[in-house]
Amino acid sequence: MSETLARGPIQDAISGCLGQHAGRTAVVGTEALTYRELRGRIHAAASALREVLPRSASHVGFCLGNRPGYVILYFATLYAGHLPLLLDANFNTGEIESIRDDCGLDALVVESAKAAALDLPGKLDPVGIPAADDAALLPLAPREPAFRPREDTQVCRFTSGTTGRPKCIEFSGRAVVSAARNWVLGTGMTTADRTLCLAALSNGLAFNTSLLATFLAGGEIHFLKGMPLTRPVARRIAESGITRLVAFPTLYRNFAAPGGPEPAEMASLAHAISAGAPLWPDVREEFRHRYGLDISDYYGIAETGPCTFERDPHHHVGLGEPLPGVELRIASGDGETGEVLVRTGSMASGYLNHPGLFESRLDGDGFYHSGDRGRIVDGRLHLVGRTQDHINVAGRKIDPTEIVAVVTALPGVEDAVAFPDEDFNREALVHLVVVASDAGLDKAAVAEACRSRLAPWKVPGRISFTGEIPRTGIGKPRIALLREQLLQRKESVA
Amino acid sequence: MNDDDLLSTKKRVQRLIYLAAGGKISEEELSRHDIDLRTIGLDSLGYLNLLEGLERTFGVTIDLDQEPDHAFLHTIDNLARFLGERRGAAA
Repeated sequence: MSETLARGPIQDAISGCLGQHAGRTAVVGTEALTYRELRGRIHAAASALREVLPRSASHVGFCLGNRPGYVILYFATLYAGHLPLLLDANFNTGEIESIRDDCGLDALVVESAKAAALDLPGKLDPVGIPAADDAALLPLAPREPAFRPREDTQVCRFTSGTTGRPKCIEFSGRAVVSAARNWVLGTGMTTADRTLCLAALSNGLAFNTSLLATFLAGGEIHFLKGMPLTRPVARRIAESGITRLVAFPTLYRNFAAPGGPEPAEMASLAHAISAGAPLWPDVREEFRHRYGLDISDYYGIAETGPCTFERDPHHHVGLGEPLPGVELRIASGDGETGEVLVRTGSMASGYLNHPGLFESRLDGDGFYHSGDRGRIVDGRLHLVGRTQDHINVAGRKIDPTEIVAVVTALPGVEDAVAFPDEDFNREALVHLVVVASDAGLDKAAVAEACRSRLAPWKVPGRISFTGEIPRTGIGKPRIALLREQLLQRKESVA
Repeated sequence: MNDDDLLSTKKRVQRLIYLAAGGKISEEELSRHDIDLRTIGLDSLGYLNLLEGLERTFGVTIDLDQEPDHAFLHTIDNLARFLGERRGAAA
């Protein structure tokens, strides 16, 4: 098999690691694999993939939660000469279908137990991959995609997109390796590091900081089966001597809440990294107070990879300094605060299914317009807001116009607007306000329409009705005034 | 678990779900104990919060990998029965 393995920057990088650290532990899930064993599993899975998908450069979609099988099949897909497309495991059937139409999917990697229940047209019988525990390959009937990836594209990831079409971001192998190398160098990752990765590997942070980066450093990546409740997470940290935790704000809040794990259980932890959404300052403070550890500040963009990291544990202001290979600029009108522009060695090549859109966000020097507003103080990035109207729910950027389009298409809806809000746990949500001409239209009907047409995280967490949405002279909704009106009239119903 | 205990457990679970969902699901919606919680907006973060709340409130350990069927998570009725069985087994 080895003489037929496909070559590329990612394969070359991982091959070196698998050989160099052969006897060390590489992946720990329900079982532990050394680098040597991981190599054997990857090669066996690559052979199996070639048999099932004999056409070179087949498109393999990953629709799977974190597990060792994800790692094995991801690298096996590359070694087999195929293209991995890392989907959000929560994408609904409509979104997977739109990816098939736009980008082409020859097979999906799914959890074995869920393969039969997946309702996709042209789905063939699932094929078990013995080397990859409970993951199965689900071949799909061929369909001619609307777009073709660039020659050097080695990995595709997705952002939420609009109108149910996730945007497919193309990355060259060189960009993927660069992101991982920069993270290893910039954060001081070593062979002693054991990373417990609880953020989804399809998420940019987890992908760039945990997957290839772990192996480049010769460290271990750990996965937890089941829901990331604090007790099993703390147990794993204590039992395995975890040094890096890659998680999300809600988990840190649960750790910091009364009755959370004892500090002794967390003693091995050297880095706690939060991804997906802004972390609440009081949670950060309570976590630091209880465990004596700062949750690391970090800034990254799906299209550019990791950008900054704070290495000084005693520095608590800002999002850290640029990682190696990262250049930041502020497009400021006043010389201080403005849109954050980024140029990295790990930039995307473009959006496969939105030709020209990524390029339109680059300036003449190749800097990417992030849509975030910020400033640089003493070399550290500070963010102050967004220049765009996207709503960030658990790290997924949602275009409110997509929700409004779904709702205003319903009979009996005159007008609607969606904007960011919070529940009383301070989790971000989409607040939808509807003007109904049909008095019979209720919250349940609107919610049901959203659930049937939108991905789960796009469904509004709060729906209110009002008589009129205040708008400016050019028709833009006046959100601040609307919030005030809803508050005054107590029309906001959970 | 007698009927009074069962009803009391349902009320406590109902309250935990309300808190876990951060108010996104109304008390009124939750008053129907047979409604599928997934259809009224209890998302993955909500379930995460709920399981934390159940463990801390009822002192049970819920390992989803050890549970062959996850239907016990789908309604308040099912959750209350599950908790009753767990506490009965532990007594």
